[in-house]
Amino acid sequence: MNEPIRTENLTKNFNGFRALDNLSIAVRKNSFMGFLGPNGAGKTTTIKILTDLLSPSSGSAYINGIDISEDPKKALTDLGTVVETPEFYPYLTPKETLAYLGELHGMGDEDLRRRTKEVLEIVKMSEWADKRVGKFSKGMKQRIAIAQAILHEPSVIILDEPTSGLDPRGMYEVREILTELKKEDYTILMSSHLLNEVQQVCDDVALINRGQLLKIGSVEEMIASANVRRLDVRTLTETTESQLKEISQFKGVSDLESFGSRDFSLSLEGADETQADLLTGLQNMGLRLVHFKENGVTLENLYMSLIKDSR
Amino acid sequence: MIEINETITKTDRKSPYVAPSDLSQIGIVMKYDILKYLRSSRLIGFVAIEALVLLLITAIPPLLGNSYADNADEFINTYASFAGILIIIGATLFAGDAIVSEFQNRTGYLLFPKPVKRCTLLAGKFLASTGAMFLMLFLYYGVALGLGLLITGRFSILGVESLLLAMMYATAAISVGFLISSVMKGTTGAQILTFALFLFIFTIITGVLTVSGMEPWFIVSYSGGTISYITQDPYPISGTAIGGTEGFAPGGIEMTNYYPEIGVAIAVMLAYAVISLVLAYYFFNRRQMSA
Repeated sequence: MNEPIRTENLTKNFNGFRALDNLSIAVRKNSFMGFLGPNGAGKTTTIKILTDLLSPSSGSAYINGIDISEDPKKALTDLGTVVETPEFYPYLTPKETLAYLGELHGMGDEDLRRRTKEVLEIVKMSEWADKRVGKFSKGMKQRIAIAQAILHEPSVIILDEPTSGLDPRGMYEVREILTELKKEDYTILMSSHLLNEVQQVCDDVALINRGQLLKIGSVEEMIASANVRRLDVRTLTETTESQLKEISQFKGVSDLESFGSRDFSLSLEGADETQADLLTGLQNMGLRLVHFKENGVTLENLYMSLIKDSR
Repeated sequence: MIEINETITKTDRKSPYVAPSDLSQIGIVMKYDILKYLRSSRLIGFVAIEALVLLLITAIPPLLGNSYADNADEFINTYASFAGILIIIGATLFAGDAIVSEFQNRTGYLLFPKPVKRCTLLAGKFLASTGAMFLMLFLYYGVALGLGLLITGRFSILGVESLLLAMMYATAAISVGFLISSVMKGTTGAQILTFALFLFIFTIITGVLTVSGMEPWFIVSYSGGTISYITQDPYPISGTAIGGTEGFAPGGIEMTNYYPEIGVAIAVMLAYAVISLVLAYYFFNRRQMSA
């Protein structure tokens, strides 16, 4: 099975509102796909159908080639999920919760003990193993949620905004876990609002809006196809209004914004040659540059332009 | 010089575990639901209520200077007449939020994507609820029958029959609770409706039908009345009496006292249990985590 996660013409209507409109995506085996789109684009609806939490109005969703609607028990056997921010049974401890969910997957006592220890170590929750979940913070619950998703060693993992609602430290910790997961041979689909995160972690990306697929492909290809880049510039001395005006008239430059007297950023349409020309142009203006750098959110530029076009 | 070549090979990973049979999974769901009852103090709370009821029934007669009944069946009758209300409390505690809580508390996001069928989840939860309820009834009747034996010197067989009828009524009440839980949106609403349905709504319908001269044989709480009637010897039968009401109407008011027939009551309780559970499954299976 080369595409362990696949949807075919997936459509979902909610009381006349079309949340998904013939959506077809496929996630390559052993790849990490980012699933992007604005609020209400249909990301969570797609994920809920893939995890049997919703049924489609039409179309099909497959995990490892098994139609979720036809044989959910079989399809879900080799799948680990974190959908939205799940809540836990407050009276159970992480160990008991993992035992409950692991037993439903067919794990025996010995495997449960071993894997519980391993996954709690991975998510750095070992010292909380015997405390009741009811008192845990959102970040701790999210880590337990990730632990239960990988407990039964599935080949396919689906994550729905795993860093949503977490504080910066919690986001950093979850991102670390995701980076670790990437090193292993999982096939992962992860929805996220954080484009930097997707750019850092994912191999492929699918962009959707209004329930329709806008673009799908590898992150590298996407970035290469994005002909617009955002640049941050810092000068040694003050940049005057007239200099800024002159810069905004350079070839390919748009959306110039200044921050204080020495910093500005701009969007540049064009390839590396255009960027090199801009750098030369700035120096020819007599500006002494301290900093001239892409801000690393190329995907964001592409995302914004695609979303804008699809409105 | 040592050269280390590390090669990471992507393999055909597949979860080594196979989801157990539906029957095994029913047992797993049941086990952890009972653990949840134990941890949430519901069982302990229910035991405390039972202890209070037993204490009041046993302690009040001597405090008022009354003696206990000499007959073991008469003795158990007072206890049996309170079993109905305990069952309503139990159905509210153990069934009222059994399904809806998975949706409202978002624990369904954890449980439903697991390789387990909705009918398996329903069966496991239902068995946990009925198991907890039966345990409470065994405890209640055990103490009551023991006290009867101690005080009257005789063991009440009719008391055991009352227990069996109480178990049937409890099963029906829990099934109705599951049905309510599978259609309601909130746990509090589901629990209040379960409690109110048995305590007020069914009672009002029974009262209105009785006054209208129609036997409410199809109301499950009316059938539940057999729990205490069975301990009366002979078993009471429906009959009409004319009350002396001079000044109201010539000849007085004709009143009919209805008593459920045992066979009909058992059939009604079974019908409520089966139909409610089938409907509960229908609604639970269709329900989606759309919120």
